Amino acid sequence: MINKNYFLLIWKLHRGLFIFSITFLAFMQFLIIWLFGSLDYVPILEALIQQLPPQFRVMLTDQFIQRFSIQGAAAFGFNHPLVLAVLAISAIVIPSRHIAGEIETGTLEILLAHPLLRKSIIISLTVSYGLFLLSIIGGGWIGSISALFIKNQLNMQILFNLLQIGINLWLLFILIMSYTLLASTMAKEGSRVGIIAASVTLLFYLFNFLSTMWNTIQITKIVNIFNYYQPQKLMFGEVIFWKNSIFLISAILICQLTALFRFQIRDIP
Amino acid sequence: MKQEVNQISEKIVINAHRLTKYYDKTIGIDQISFQVMKGEIFGFLGPNGAGKTTTIRLLLDLLRPTSGTVKIFNKDIKSDSLQIRKKCGYLPGNFQPYANMTGKEFLDFTAKIRNIKPILQAELSQKFSLERNLSKKIKQLSHGNRQKLGLVQAFAHQPELVILDEPTIGLDPLMQDTFYELLQEYHNSGNTVFFSSHNLPEVEKICHRVAIIRAGKLVALEKLAALKKKRLRKLKITLKHSVNAIHLPGATLQKKQGLLYEFLFEGESDILLSQLAKLPIEDFVFPEPDLEEVFMYYYSGEKDDQ
Repeated sequence: MINKNYFLLIWKLHRGLFIFSITFLAFMQFLIIWLFGSLDYVPILEALIQQLPPQFRVMLTDQFIQRFSIQGAAAFGFNHPLVLAVLAISAIVIPSRHIAGEIETGTLEILLAHPLLRKSIIISLTVSYGLFLLSIIGGGWIGSISALFIKNQLNMQILFNLLQIGINLWLLFILIMSYTLLASTMAKEGSRVGIIAASVTLLFYLFNFLSTMWNTIQITKIVNIFNYYQPQKLMFGEVIFWKNSIFLISAILICQLTALFRFQIRDIP
Repeated sequence: MKQEVNQISEKIVINAHRLTKYYDKTIGIDQISFQVMKGEIFGFLGPNGAGKTTTIRLLLDLLRPTSGTVKIFNKDIKSDSLQIRKKCGYLPGNFQPYANMTGKEFLDFTAKIRNIKPILQAELSQKFSLERNLSKKIKQLSHGNRQKLGLVQAFAHQPELVILDEPTIGLDPLMQDTFYELLQEYHNSGNTVFFSSHNLPEVEKICHRVAIIRAGKLVALEKLAALKKKRLRKLKITLKHSVNAIHLPGATLQKKQGLLYEFLFEGESDILLSQLAKLPIEDFVFPEPDLEEVFMYYYSGEKDDQ
């Protein structure tokens, strides 16, 4: 079902992006944790909080200060907008380029004239991206673990929490890849799919951000994919890992199965 | 009786039955039926936009038919698509492989997807003088070299059936001859070719049987000899001085402008030439007819029906 040669083709065509993403994530995680570990933020923050009016002060609990710890920094690194943007590039570029994009360039016609099943293309694409994404997140783990080790902050609890965050992040971007793939199986132009998928992802991100401040749109949180990825809360055990994962896995399955069905019945013009 | 039926069905490589494809409400092809026999070079002729590529894509299961069926090697193209494609080679009309690969990488990639050794790869590359260009990235190759690469990938695994969509576009005359030789050798080994073109003389040169498609409908399906009999050619003559009457058997006068006469000619050329020799000819042009002219003349009935 998984075509090894198609897998190698995807690696060959996107290795630059993958290597850049792995290096970037590893470096970002290392830098953020190392910076937070080099400065003692807690007394600075406590001094600042003391200067705030009492009604503001009560809003900022111990949990808020905890976020500025080295564990908080490790979680924050995996949620940094730049990191999310880099991961989103590969999640959107690969499926849009390989289905709709290949229809546009004519290479899909050549591929499908060979003994290669349509479902095999979809499955190979998803598995390849899944493995590459895992290696990118692996880069982030290596960066985090190295910085934590240097700062003598490495322990089993942090490792376990980082693992949960990584899996949660992996599922989130597999979902982004999956809805891009679905759009790709319905379109004829890769660039159009890329623009649509990027706009949808950006809207999810924006709504998730606004819903933390604006009560009226809080209802949208239920269907917002970014609501199911909260690394800082995961790090401090404030959300249940499985609850988020089940939502993301269900959404991935719906997108993947629909994409498989759509691709199976569509014309390759 | 049953044995005879089996023998006949074994000889049929492609069997298209009432094949129809609509793109929304626009007609692609309409109720096309034909059979291609084993070992045949079958020409699929038609002007641009007639439905040749649509038919080919339906044969390869790239497009899904609105109605009708296709069987290749006596197997259904939808349910046995994988087995059929293992035995087929294909060159698309607008062959655009992965631009960032080298020619060699692309050929190796397609061979690996087929999971068989590309037995003829080296020999064919040599035949088409492609070896020097195989190490270059495909985006750096000229259109002609890209086309040669497409031909090598279509034939490299010795398929039993090869489907070619306008294969000679971009090839220089020398390479076209090499390609015709290859087709002949391939045919001599008992393999089958489905060949689409809009070039009548080319099809005449290499095909055994020809189907003509126009505006999505099959307007003729005949042996090449029958088509040749129906050939229609333009004839332009300029006389040195005027004559009382010109009688050329098989020629119909289309236009007269001073001493310039334009005819449409159908029939044997040797009789025509003997008659022309009797005339005071200043200049003489006898070009190949273009396909549209053939259609206009022979299939005007079908055209009116549309």
